[in-house]
Amino acid sequence: MTMRVTQSSNQTQFLTSINLLEASISQTQNQMSSSLSFTTASQNPIGAGSVNNYNQALAQSKQYGTNATSAQTNLNTEDNALSQVQTQLQALRTLALQANGGALTNSNLSAIATQAQQIQNSLLALANTQNGNGEYIFGGFAAQTQPFTLSATGATYNGDQGQRQVQIAAGQTVADGDNGDTVFDQIKTGNGTFAVAAAAGNAGSGIVGATTVSNPAAYDGGTYVIKFTAPGTYQVTEGATVVTTGSYTDGDTIAFNGVQVTLSGQPAANDSFTLAPSTNQSLFTTVQNLVSALQTGVTSSASSTALNNSINSAINNLDQALNQTSNVRATVGGRLNSITTQQSAATAVQTQLQQSITNIQGLDFAAAITTLDQQNTTLSAALQAYTLTQGLSLFKFL
Amino acid sequence: MSDVFGISVSALQAFQQAINVTSNNVANASTPGYDRETVNLNEAIPQANGAATVGAGVVVAGINRAFSQAAANQLNTSQSTLGQLNAMQNYSSQIDNLFGTTIGGLSTALQGFYSAFADVANNPTSTASRQALIGQAQSVSSGFQNASGELSSLNTDVNSRITADVTQINSIAKAISTLNNQIVTGTAQQGGQQPNELLDQRDQLVSNLSQLVGITTTTDTNGALNVFVGNGQPLVLQGQVHSLTTVPNQFNATQLEISTSASSAVISSTITSGDLGGLLSARTQIINPALNQLGQIATALSQTVNSQQAQGLDLSGNFGAPIFSVGTPLAIGSSRNTDAVTATVSVNANGLGALTPNDYVLSFVGGTPKLTNTSDGTSVTPAGAGTVASPYTAAGISIVLSGTPANGDQFLVQPTATAAGSLKVVISNPSQIAAAGAIKTIAAGANTGAATISSGTVIDATNPNLLSPVAIAFTSPTTYTINGGAPNAYTSGSNIDVNGWEVQINGAPAAGDTFNVTSNAGGTGDNRNALIAANAQNVGVLQNGTTSITGGVSALVTGLGSQAQQINTAQSAQSAVNAQALGSVQSTSGVNLDEEAASLLQWQQAYQAAAQALSIGNTLFASLLSAVKGT
Repeated sequence: MTMRVTQSSNQTQFLTSINLLEASISQTQNQMSSSLSFTTASQNPIGAGSVNNYNQALAQSKQYGTNATSAQTNLNTEDNALSQVQTQLQALRTLALQANGGALTNSNLSAIATQAQQIQNSLLALANTQNGNGEYIFGGFAAQTQPFTLSATGATYNGDQGQRQVQIAAGQTVADGDNGDTVFDQIKTGNGTFAVAAAAGNAGSGIVGATTVSNPAAYDGGTYVIKFTAPGTYQVTEGATVVTTGSYTDGDTIAFNGVQVTLSGQPAANDSFTLAPSTNQSLFTTVQNLVSALQTGVTSSASSTALNNSINSAINNLDQALNQTSNVRATVGGRLNSITTQQSAATAVQTQLQQSITNIQGLDFAAAITTLDQQNTTLSAALQAYTLTQGLSLFKFL
Repeated sequence: MSDVFGISVSALQAFQQAINVTSNNVANASTPGYDRETVNLNEAIPQANGAATVGAGVVVAGINRAFSQAAANQLNTSQSTLGQLNAMQNYSSQIDNLFGTTIGGLSTALQGFYSAFADVANNPTSTASRQALIGQAQSVSSGFQNASGELSSLNTDVNSRITADVTQINSIAKAISTLNNQIVTGTAQQGGQQPNELLDQRDQLVSNLSQLVGITTTTDTNGALNVFVGNGQPLVLQGQVHSLTTVPNQFNATQLEISTSASSAVISSTITSGDLGGLLSARTQIINPALNQLGQIATALSQTVNSQQAQGLDLSGNFGAPIFSVGTPLAIGSSRNTDAVTATVSVNANGLGALTPNDYVLSFVGGTPKLTNTSDGTSVTPAGAGTVASPYTAAGISIVLSGTPANGDQFLVQPTATAAGSLKVVISNPSQIAAAGAIKTIAAGANTGAATISSGTVIDATNPNLLSPVAIAFTSPTTYTINGGAPNAYTSGSNIDVNGWEVQINGAPAAGDTFNVTSNAGGTGDNRNALIAANAQNVGVLQNGTTSITGGVSALVTGLGSQAQQINTAQSAQSAVNAQALGSVQSTSGVNLDEEAASLLQWQQAYQAAAQALSIGNTLFASLLSAVKGT
């Protein structure tokens, strides 16, 4: 027996299917007006979760970009300051060489000292450089305290040894600066391994020249005294132990325990030179020592020798400072490079993420238009069919 | 001769009645609950006179209604399931539409919050960055509060609809009981003839009732119908109504439960279908779990951000103030508890990994506590004694009781239900954001060795000596002392843990080298703490450390979306089932107008024929009269 169909069930069925068709048309319209393949999570639960994750990754990657730009700005500020520091140090070194040339009067020396002081002030200003946010870039963590103030022996460092890191990628940070302690204070004296100083009371004309470590394995880091027992005869002691003895003529190189010290001039009997491991000395102390030596001037041949030794020592220390500055600039350059590398990697990542989001949530307009067309056709066919069947009734023919 | 009159008249009467029935069918073609009726014609039995007999005409034996109890039952069951799904779909799609794909922008706000933390890390001294972070924190808090508010208002809506449903169920039940009485009396008065109109009305009421609540019915021999809900709780017994009532949940008076006047027991859990069942399911399966899951994320956010704050220093050199606060988790004693013991719940400091988005019932049987997960029914015996010194601990939470509970006492423990709605920003001063690490390390300028010290991390922010200065002095290249104490052996790169902080010294130190660890107060350019806070978005904290906070939001989006999708699918499948069931009922009981038109024609012709027979009888009688008169 076939199923009896009644007018009422016909109507119910018609209304239900019309409702469904209109709902799906509305959804397609909604997709097209938002350009999204889904606007609620139920339409694509997994996709909605993924899009959330991708959006988070995208926001984070963009934030890494912001971080990188911020670090870049700070590092450029630092690099610029350090480049000026190098210029000033070169100028100071030229002055020192000039003062070492001999045949200068005390007033000449004093004039050089004045120039050196001006350079000292410039260096101080550079060491107290502030970035756009008013932070002292060489203060370490203490970014709001002026890091360097002049003192009688150089400058006092008021900052700390902190170094700020900035996140430029997942798991990758770069320092966006260097503290003043590292840049200006932790500078080795002498040749970086040891320094040779003439004793204050030397009466002869012995001047310390080149110093080298000829055999790092043999140098034990000890402190040695080179003492001239007579002009032309020296004895090297470490504490009470005699390390070596020898004869000396002007320009000879004294070698022992892996180190070499070249002297010039003629030391007098009992003149001595102390070879001690390098210590850390502030750039400002080096400059201050030079200024003091220049201001002291020359009153005798012994004091002229002392001035020469002081200037030589200052030049050694300035070279160490230049070295240190170059090293720091090299690391700054390295950081800037890794930031640039990371920025282009981040751009690729962001493009990829954006693409993934579009793949999941973006709308295929061609498909959507086709769907809408089909849905419209189905709806008009359903309406047509209903009006046709509704016209059929036996009562019409009675 | 009189036979032809009698037979014709009986036929005229019967066909007239048949035409009436057909007209009535046509008249009620669109009446809900109307069952098509047909006349039941019988031959009239003639008087036996010993000879061959001619029939005595036709009688109307009854008017039958086309009704299939089986089809009606099937439709009612289908309507109950559909009613439940419709109610659930109403809420799941509201959530789906309100939350969209970002929980109403919450996931975007969270991204903004963590980005703002990174901006603070870039410019720790900038008040503008810090102010922006507080602004973003407020967006996050509004995001959680709005989402929670939407869900709570849905719960309010559920309550009002439960009340309305119960009122309507009771009024239908009353009407059914009244009809029961009329049907029993009517059947008796009409000598066993069924009162079709009353039955139609009653069946329609049962059908309406089945949309509101799942029911089972039985019919007594006298024609009365009994209606049961849930697990067989009577709603209508003959002429009696045991009405449903709403009662406050024993733990949470703002949530209505279903009880019945037949007993005081709460029967909510047995009502699983119909609109009422759907409302209860929407509350327990959709709305409350979503609130709890949001709360779980809010709790995790608040706890991780605040604990990171507590590990760093603000611009004034103080430990960071909390950025967020969430309300205390709920622990509600049952209204049936026999004493006034109260419970206090807190989420453990390291409890986020074990924290679930579920509610628990803490019950006492024979003095032994039992914590039952209301979501899956599993239970554990919590560790501890329920005291302040030794709280009950389980699932990342601690519970402290104010006294000894009586046997049978119960507490509903909701670790996360209120967290999302109560997430607030409690910081207003931007300088209180702890961007800096708590400690800093300094290598003495006179050090001659090559060793370096790390910048140090805080491992226990609660250590009271965290900020006290400490000197690590090397007495030889292989030994060091802490503040002049006993010598320790030095290994390059190994952890040195003192006063709640940890540092590493790398490389070869020389005897006499010193490293100092001190408070980082004044280190306003430091961003170490802000860096960790900004990266916390990727750190797994939930579900035993496998899910990050933003990952939790994505999972919630997928979870809610899947649920809505599943309900949509089930609802449309059930709609099809229901259309089938409705078609089946209509197939039996519905009025087809073409069919009725044919019937009308049939009865009209039969009536005309009977009238013709009467006319012929009359002619015959006239012929006889005229023949008699003519002689």
